[in-house]
Amino acid sequence: MSVLSLRLAGPLQSWGASARFTRRTTESAPTKSAVIGLLAAAAGIERGDDASLEPLAALRFGVRIDQPGSRVRDFQTAHHSVSGKSMPLSERFYLADAVFVAAVEGDATLLSDLHAALRNPVYPPFLGRRSCPPAQPVDLGLHDGAASLMEVLGELPWQASGWYRRQHGNRPDIELTVLREACDDEGEFADTLRDQPVSYAAEHRRHALRTVVSDTVRVPGASAGRLPRHDPFDALQEGNV
Amino acid sequence: MFLTRFRVNTARPGARRLLSSPQVLHAAVMSSFPSLLPSNAPPPDGPRVLWRLDHTTRAEVMLYVVSPDRPDMTHLVEQAGWPAAATSSAPGWESRPYGPFLDRLSLGEQWTFRLTANPVHHIRRKADEPTKRTAHVTPVHQMGWLLQRQEQCGFRVLEKPADRRLLPGGTTHTGQPHHGDGYEFTVHDKRALSFDKSRGPAKAAGRKGAVSLVTVTFDGRLEVTDPEKLRRTLRQGIGKAKAYGCGLLTLAPLGAAG
Repeated sequence: MSVLSLRLAGPLQSWGASARFTRRTTESAPTKSAVIGLLAAAAGIERGDDASLEPLAALRFGVRIDQPGSRVRDFQTAHHSVSGKSMPLSERFYLADAVFVAAVEGDATLLSDLHAALRNPVYPPFLGRRSCPPAQPVDLGLHDGAASLMEVLGELPWQASGWYRRQHGNRPDIELTVLREACDDEGEFADTLRDQPVSYAAEHRRHALRTVVSDTVRVPGASAGRLPRHDPFDALQEGNV
Repeated sequence: MFLTRFRVNTARPGARRLLSSPQVLHAAVMSSFPSLLPSNAPPPDGPRVLWRLDHTTRAEVMLYVVSPDRPDMTHLVEQAGWPAAATSSAPGWESRPYGPFLDRLSLGEQWTFRLTANPVHHIRRKADEPTKRTAHVTPVHQMGWLLQRQEQCGFRVLEKPADRRLLPGGTTHTGQPHHGDGYEFTVHDKRALSFDKSRGPAKAAGRKGAVSLVTVTFDGRLEVTDPEKLRRTLRQGIGKAKAYGCGLLTLAPLGAAG
């Protein structure tokens, strides 16, 4: 069993799970279909290729909210660039200044292939919408032989930006929310979300329901991210006065 | 040679005056050496007084000084230290002989380092213009500045293993060489300082006494490639603006880094 972790950080992100027509809403955390889509794009799987998508969609998914960000509404009055005709008025919602750590758990060979693909992607990654590029490298590393997704999410350092850590993390550790898929025995208590990718075919996208369980992990707080300790006197200890 | 550490008491007005201007702190540091007269021109290639301020947190500000003579920092303790806590055995600063450590440096040793420097280059904007000294502004250029100097300074910044790099090949997608994050060091704490050399209002001084500097702090790991050159670097500093707290390189054991 392996776990592949991703850092999803950028000025704008948008993670729609139930958005239809001209009102494009966003969830408050990345959806499974977006993250699996990002991995599939990096691996070069085409939109209609449902057979290649299947092993990716079967990965167990979880996401940690490192910095929740704030919701932004964009009232869009776009015009066609060539004809100048106005496009349908639409409302688009984004998360501004958010940072998440997403993780997928599954077969070791598949994940090491995906890790290699992320470092040399066929199609570039984006955060839920093509206009939202990531601000930092998406790859956070492959954890071979990790027991579970929760263990990895509990160990990875806090990824929030400096100003956010200074405001919220003046303690030795901080509690972060994790939204993950249910284990086998807790399925009946879980929420559901329609973002389990079945097909990304342009003419007919399909998503099934998946379970969502809200959990928390404790990770080291802001003090861990400070400057390295540096005392030149450590090197002089023997040459005492 | 001596290495000296002085903790600044940032709660005192005297400390704020010292920290507000590198010119004032330069004068205060130089006054710690009774045998060093202002009329003495320093030897151009000899050891000199180097200092650095480490702002770790708001209340943890350390002044490090490397000097040929043993300093007497009584005046600094009185202005910006803890004078009532000073005893004859712990006068408020710590000085240790630096020579034995320098002599022990040998080829292939690995250390963590910290350096506050003033990375500059010389440019001209038009073909017929004389060149002028200009600060490196971006972290990429600032890191490139140190990497360019590492060989002549007698050390090598350690390289990361390929699987932890952003650019494993060391080139961008267009084939341009680029250090990416291939080295075990970071650059942080960029400060754009600007202050007046002369006393009195800035207007009266005009542009003549105005100094502007960009300083950055490097933290990382290095390997000794030439002990003799590294000793020279540790005594004499790297780069420009040495009077203003730049150029002092210090080493610490690898294991001590947090």
